[in-house]
Amino acid sequence: MFPPEIGEPASYVKELAGRLSKDYQVTVVMYGRLPEKVSGVSFICVDKRKPLLLRLLRFYFVLLKEAKTADILYAENGGSVELPAGFVAFFISTPLFIHTGDIAVMERIKNSKILKYIQNFAFKRARKVISEIPLERPEIMPFGLKPQKEMDVYFKSWDEHISKLKNIFSNV
Amino acid sequence: MFNIDNKEKWEEYYKNELAIISPALNNFGFRLEKEQPHLGGEKYLMQAVTTASGKKLILLARRVSDNKRVIIKVTRDIKGIYELEHERVCRAALKNIIFAYKDFFYPAEILFVKDKGYAISAQEYIEQKISFFDRPLEEQFYFVLKAFKTQEGAHATTYRHKKIIAKTFGEKNTEDYVHMFSEFKSGILKCLSDNKRINLLIDKAESLITANSEMIEQYCGFLTHTDFVPHNFRIVGDDIYLLDVSSIRFGNKYEGWARFLNFMTLHNRPLENALIFYIRNNRAEEEYRSLELMRVYRLGEIILFYANSLEKTSGDLKILTESRVEFWSDVLEAALQGKQVAEDIVNRYCEFRDKLRSKEEKERQKELY
Repeated sequence: MFPPEIGEPASYVKELAGRLSKDYQVTVVMYGRLPEKVSGVSFICVDKRKPLLLRLLRFYFVLLKEAKTADILYAENGGSVELPAGFVAFFISTPLFIHTGDIAVMERIKNSKILKYIQNFAFKRARKVISEIPLERPEIMPFGLKPQKEMDVYFKSWDEHISKLKNIFSNV
Repeated sequence: MFNIDNKEKWEEYYKNELAIISPALNNFGFRLEKEQPHLGGEKYLMQAVTTASGKKLILLARRVSDNKRVIIKVTRDIKGIYELEHERVCRAALKNIIFAYKDFFYPAEILFVKDKGYAISAQEYIEQKISFFDRPLEEQFYFVLKAFKTQEGAHATTYRHKKIIAKTFGEKNTEDYVHMFSEFKSGILKCLSDNKRINLLIDKAESLITANSEMIEQYCGFLTHTDFVPHNFRIVGDDIYLLDVSSIRFGNKYEGWARFLNFMTLHNRPLENALIFYIRNNRAEEEYRSLELMRVYRLGEIILFYANSLEKTSGDLKILTESRVEFWSDVLEAALQGKQVAEDIVNRYCEFRDKLRSKEEKERQKELY
């Protein structure tokens, strides 16, 4: 997910892409169209409006192509990403990391054997499953003072998260 | 003095309809209230430009069995019947939007029946302890933001979603918005062919919308209430009830915001400013640009509405309608420059409007919110 899609982890992925692009070449392979721009980040979009099988296949082939020239594959959880990412990791040696940032998906998996199976399949092929989620950006409201303390805590949570990821990536 | 033809025709229409429909409503267990604020004033001019609006009466009544207040919509106009049926379909569909993240609230339907060529829809009247504008500014802001976030929670993006929504709410994409705006422009040129200033503004607006159509498309696929203004929602406790469910469709998420903000340009500038502040400080630059584009789009619609109304009015109401065309053109001019219209322009228009507005219309306005 990526904005303008709503809900987590769309905003997480956008923030992550922007921060990582300062030190890495970042390409986001996403479902959707017309992503919000992030300086230094390139996008490959797979149209979500196609039937399920078609979009899964397209996503798989796009991801396979990008993975061949990438150092790291970092995927968000969710069946429609885990399934193609798991297969890509099966065929290509590029290390796969899965971030469980979509809490709604984790809840849905509890009631779905298929989604659970797909997740297990992808997790087995991942170098690591990362569950830490930085804090959500505090909203700046028109009344009252800017939440400076909360913003500082938010930025700190992201600095720590990026630092952890860089550490993980450098050990690959 | 009002235009006799149209106002008289409206009064004749609703008096005739009331004479026929009142006994039927009595049979269904309803009693009409003595005061009917939705019939008088400038109501006869109200005909939506972009939604399927038919001729219908909106009446206040009580259910005889328990004195419960209800809103009754009644019509025998084909477009009006379609609108009432469409509203029911939308209401049922809202319950089933499985991909929505938040809940929606709307008045419960008490009765829907077709009788002797009429469609009659009775819904519960949502009582508000305090009118929207009487709330403190922070509360107004809180509720409006909550309402918009609720609507944005339904984002139709997948193949399965599109199939569901196509059947019910309908969807507008950027091609539709561009096409509609060119229709607005044609309509405005037809009514105001001598007004070079407005023609130039509408030309610029059309160019802006066409040149930035991708930015409009970027935020399409969201559930939006296209007539989200205080007379179309009610607040009970912490819940917002959306009225006029037929105005809900999938389109640009800022279409509803645009309608609301344009309305607040006139009715509550601080609230307009607060919401703009929120967008600028919490959302992407593209979102703010999309909002600006939708405001320009909706301004084209407002100008067309008043331009069309000119031929139905005369006397004071015609002068008022002409000033409304000029006022909204001033707002459009500012919007095209990326600014908000100056405060003194709004104040001057409001003073002028209040001098010319009929007593009846002033009473109708009081009841709306």
